[in-house]
Amino acid sequence: MTMDNVTFLVVETMNGTETHAIIDKGNNEFTSMLKSEYDRRQAEQSTPNLPA
Amino acid sequence: MTVNRNGVDQGAVSKRTVTAKGNLIVGTANSVVSNLAVGNDGEQIVADSSTSTGLRYQGNFAAGKNKVINGDFGIWQRGTTFSTSAAYTSDRWELIFDGAGATRAITQQTFTPGTAPVAGYEGQYFYRYNQSVAGTTGTYNIVRTKLEDVRTFAGQTVTVSFWAKASVTTSMTSVYLTQNFGSGGSGGVDISLVTSPSFTTSWVRYSYTAAVPSITGKTLGTNTCLELRINYPLNSTFTVDIWGVQMEAGSVATAFQTATGTLQGELAACQRYYYRSTSGVANKWILPMCVSAINGTSAIYAFSLPVTMRTTPSSVDSSTLQLVDGLSGYAVTAITLSADSSPAIAYGTMGVASGITVRYPYSVNSTSASGYIGFSAEL
Repeated sequence: MTMDNVTFLVVETMNGTETHAIIDKGNNEFTSMLKSEYDRRQAEQSTPNLPA
Repeated sequence: MTVNRNGVDQGAVSKRTVTAKGNLIVGTANSVVSNLAVGNDGEQIVADSSTSTGLRYQGNFAAGKNKVINGDFGIWQRGTTFSTSAAYTSDRWELIFDGAGATRAITQQTFTPGTAPVAGYEGQYFYRYNQSVAGTTGTYNIVRTKLEDVRTFAGQTVTVSFWAKASVTTSMTSVYLTQNFGSGGSGGVDISLVTSPSFTTSWVRYSYTAAVPSITGKTLGTNTCLELRINYPLNSTFTVDIWGVQMEAGSVATAFQTATGTLQGELAACQRYYYRSTSGVANKWILPMCVSAINGTSAIYAFSLPVTMRTTPSSVDSSTLQLVDGLSGYAVTAITLSADSSPAIAYGTMGVASGITVRYPYSVNSTSASGYIGFSAEL
C-alpha cells in the first residue's frame, strides 16, 4: 500500500510477519519503522500535548 | 577566659567582624579572625591555602547535577541545519511547530574563541533558531528536550537556567515544563517557568525556579518523561541563540556543567537515544560488518550498537547506502528495523532493486560523503 511517500512493506521473520512503514524522503534517503510505531507517531503529531 | 575591667571576654569574637548577610568569621592565623564575604549564589567553599582565610568560594562544576543531556549543544549527530517539525535537531533537542507559511532554520553556530558567555568555559557551539518569514496561524513554536522518566524531579523544586541572546530584543512566548505520563498514562501536567521573557542582544543567563508536582496518584504509561519546552515567538520573525541549558534540583542556578561532565560521556549519553554512523567520505564503510543476502533483492543485518539504547530502537534512517561485493555496488532502496531487535542489537533488512546473490556477504557503504545509517530510541 502506498500513501504519499510512505510505503508499507510486509516482511517475514523467524518469529512471524512484520509490517513496516518506509518513508522515502527523496535523494535515496529513508526512514523506516514498524507500522505500529508509525501510527503512534502520526497520532502524537495530530494531537500534541501542548499548554492549555 | 580573660575578662577586661568592663567584664567583656577579651577572647570573644566581635560580631562586627561580619559585615553582611552570609559572611563568615574565619581564622587567618593563630587567634586571629577575619571576615569572609559570602560567595555568589550556588557557589561552594573549598579549602585554599593560598588565600588569607584558607578558604575560597567557587562554582560547583560537579557532573550529574544537570539532567539536561547536550545542554551545551556539543553533539550534532543528525547534521547542522534543520527546518521540519517533529524532527530532532542537535541531539536530544526536538523542534515542533504548527501554522503555515513560515521559513525557519535551526542551525549550529560556532563560538569565536573567547566569546562564549561563561568566563573560563569555552563552549564550542550554540543553538540558533532563525525564523526569517513570519508565517501565519501558528499556535506553538517549540524546541523541547525530554528527560527520561516522569519521576525525574517529581515533588522537588527545580531551577532551569540558560544563556540567550537575540538579534534584536525579542519577546519569547514562554518557557515551561511538562510532566508527560506517556502512552496510556495520566494526562500531561504543565509547569510554567516564565511567560513572555524578553531576550536582549547580549548573552545573558536566565534562571527560572518552579515546583514540580508529586506524581502520587498518577498512572505511568510507556515512555514517560519530563519535558523542557522553550516556546519561541509566533507568527513573527526572530533570531534567537541559546547555550548552556541546565536543569537542577534546588532554587539556585549553579555553575553550568554538562550532564556527564565529559565530551565522551555526553556523546554516549546522546547515543542512548540516537546513534548515527556516517563515513564522512564517499565509499567508506558505514557499518563495521557485512550483511547477508537472503534473496536477490534483500539482505539482513544485525548490528551491535555502540551504546545500549534506552529501549529497542523504534526507527532507522539512512541515506545513500549501497551494498558492495567488492566489484559492484547495489543502491539500497528500502530498509527495515525488525521488532526482533534489542536495545543492544539492531536487526533488519536492506532492500535493493536486484542483483545480489542469496547467502553472499556484502559490505555497506555510502555513495556520498553525507551518507549514514541511524537508529532511534528517542522518547
